[in-house]
Amino acid sequence: MIKIIDTPFNPVIELEAFTKANSDAGAITSFLGQVRGETGSVHELYLEQYPGVTKAGIQDAVTKANTRWTLTGVVVIHRTGAMGVGEPIVLVATAAIHRRDAFLSCDYLMDYLKTEAVFWKRQTGAHGTKWIEPRAEDYKDSDRWDTL
Amino acid sequence: MIKILYFGRLHESAGRRAETMALPEGVTTISALKHWLNTAHELDGALDDPSVKTMINQALVHADIPLNGDEEIGFLPPVGGG
Repeated sequence: MIKIIDTPFNPVIELEAFTKANSDAGAITSFLGQVRGETGSVHELYLEQYPGVTKAGIQDAVTKANTRWTLTGVVVIHRTGAMGVGEPIVLVATAAIHRRDAFLSCDYLMDYLKTEAVFWKRQTGAHGTKWIEPRAEDYKDSDRWDTL
Repeated sequence: MIKILYFGRLHESAGRRAETMALPEGVTTISALKHWLNTAHELDGALDDPSVKTMINQALVHADIPLNGDEEIGFLPPVGGG
């Protein structure tokens, strides 16, 4: 399931629902990304999507994950709009029979989301407003899946 | 009518997120449309920047293709990731 939403979500409730829906899985890995405060210098993060295109890209990444690992379920919930420090941005959870498939697929999907997902990100803080692009480390993390 | 969408920093430069218009007179290709919009919105050539991708009807295009006048056209600066 993929949800791109412009209102806050509760990751605990979402993860509980995912866990219930995958009661046959032996392993569930989840990742929660939230807005970093950068020791007070960030006040707001704003994310923008291209409706249709953004979701199709994530769906493609989920399909690739399902091809690469044996999964019983995947959920990706991603926020758009304005978010304050500490607010959840993204929740990815993967369920599998065994833990390795759950760990690796969750990591893979997060690397996709950090580097290729069609989102634009604007940070507002003490130093003004700027549009953010992936860091070199993000691309390096994502590239390793080509050789793993 | 064509629908034009500007994303990320481009919507700030263009002063709008979207606009709907008939193809301007003499504009028949995506390249010509970009040139026209660069001038009309004083974008200083931003739409021709190699880092800006163009989508027509939600599919990436790399060539200068003809326009019918009823497309959805998206201009995408580098994505920021989630």
